[in-house]
Amino acid sequence: MPYPEQMVAPMRAELTSAGVQELRTTAEVESFFAQNTGTALVLVNSVCGCAAGSARPALKSAIGEDTSPDRVATVFAGQDLEATARARELFGYVPPSSPSMALIKDGELVHFVPRHMIEGRDALSIAQDLTAAFAEYC
Amino acid sequence: MGTFHDTADPLHGITVVAEAGNTVYVGRCHARENGTILLLDVDQHTDGDDGKTNQEYLERAARFGVWKKHEKLTLNADDVTGLSPLSNHFRRPGQKTAPAVETVTAAAPAPVVKELATLETGGVEAPVQLTEAAADEVRRLLVAESREGQGLRLAVSGGGCSGLVYKVEFDAQKEGDIVVACEGFDVLMDRKSTIYLRGVTLDHQQGLSGRGFQFNNPNASNTCGCGESFSV
Repeated sequence: MPYPEQMVAPMRAELTSAGVQELRTTAEVESFFAQNTGTALVLVNSVCGCAAGSARPALKSAIGEDTSPDRVATVFAGQDLEATARARELFGYVPPSSPSMALIKDGELVHFVPRHMIEGRDALSIAQDLTAAFAEYC
Repeated sequence: MGTFHDTADPLHGITVVAEAGNTVYVGRCHARENGTILLLDVDQHTDGDDGKTNQEYLERAARFGVWKKHEKLTLNADDVTGLSPLSNHFRRPGQKTAPAVETVTAAAPAPVVKELATLETGGVEAPVQLTEAAADEVRRLLVAESREGQGLRLAVSGGGCSGLVYKVEFDAQKEGDIVVACEGFDVLMDRKSTIYLRGVTLDHQQGLSGRGFQFNNPNASNTCGCGESFSV
């Protein structure tokens, strides 16, 4: 069951204030994925405190580097259910986990950061992994 | 390692690989106790399943995660020959060879008893306790962040997977605060938060495998997989 919107609003704002595009409907997700050239990063956001609490600042840090994806978006697992389900379909055959991050290049998933690569880690370590992936694919 | 949780087990909430014979189990470790290992959201793979070796299966699992076959699974610790975080099996971009995997004991670790910091409460029972490790870290951060004179605010607010989340930050004292003096700084709590903080011990874990500050709450009836939120 989704949490009250006022409770998750700061978790959305943490990303949107950094310029991350939030995709709240299936139409918005499909529109985002329709552009299948260049690189895009999609964060599956979560209310989960320590995992998403590290993932969000990690993403913000990593996309501030010189080499980063052309576009960055987010869906909110457990909150925007249909949008998240559609995004996961478009990632390809990847088990659902949240938070998680998908790096897409020319319409293909090239790098995925599942929850288990986020849980128990600090934002800096996660950001370093993202930066390495950006260096390889972006 | 470990999540922000009220348990001594550093693997609680961490997705692990348990090896038993020629089968590997991947799931989130919930508890190691009484000779068993309880895993949540578990997949399993036996060498040769789907034409894949266990190592091939684990490399893919580490990249993408697993599709769970079991909500819960209890393993006999004596049957488990290796236990390691799934993240240890991840091959980073450009890494040619399989990563060396550090395994940990399948048995539950012995509980660690930490020394508590002395608190001045004016004769009343302190709502919270701090370990010396936590107090030392607070004193270090106050200097490092040039926040001398500020207090350590502990609070509880709504949110997280389990309904309530802890907050810890440096702040100035506010009207109505409960104030507990520790050597070098004051611990500040609003009255509402003390309802949920009573009995909590704030600890700090150092090093690469540590998670920083941890709230150990004996009154929490439920905590989420990430452990930063709880319910009572």
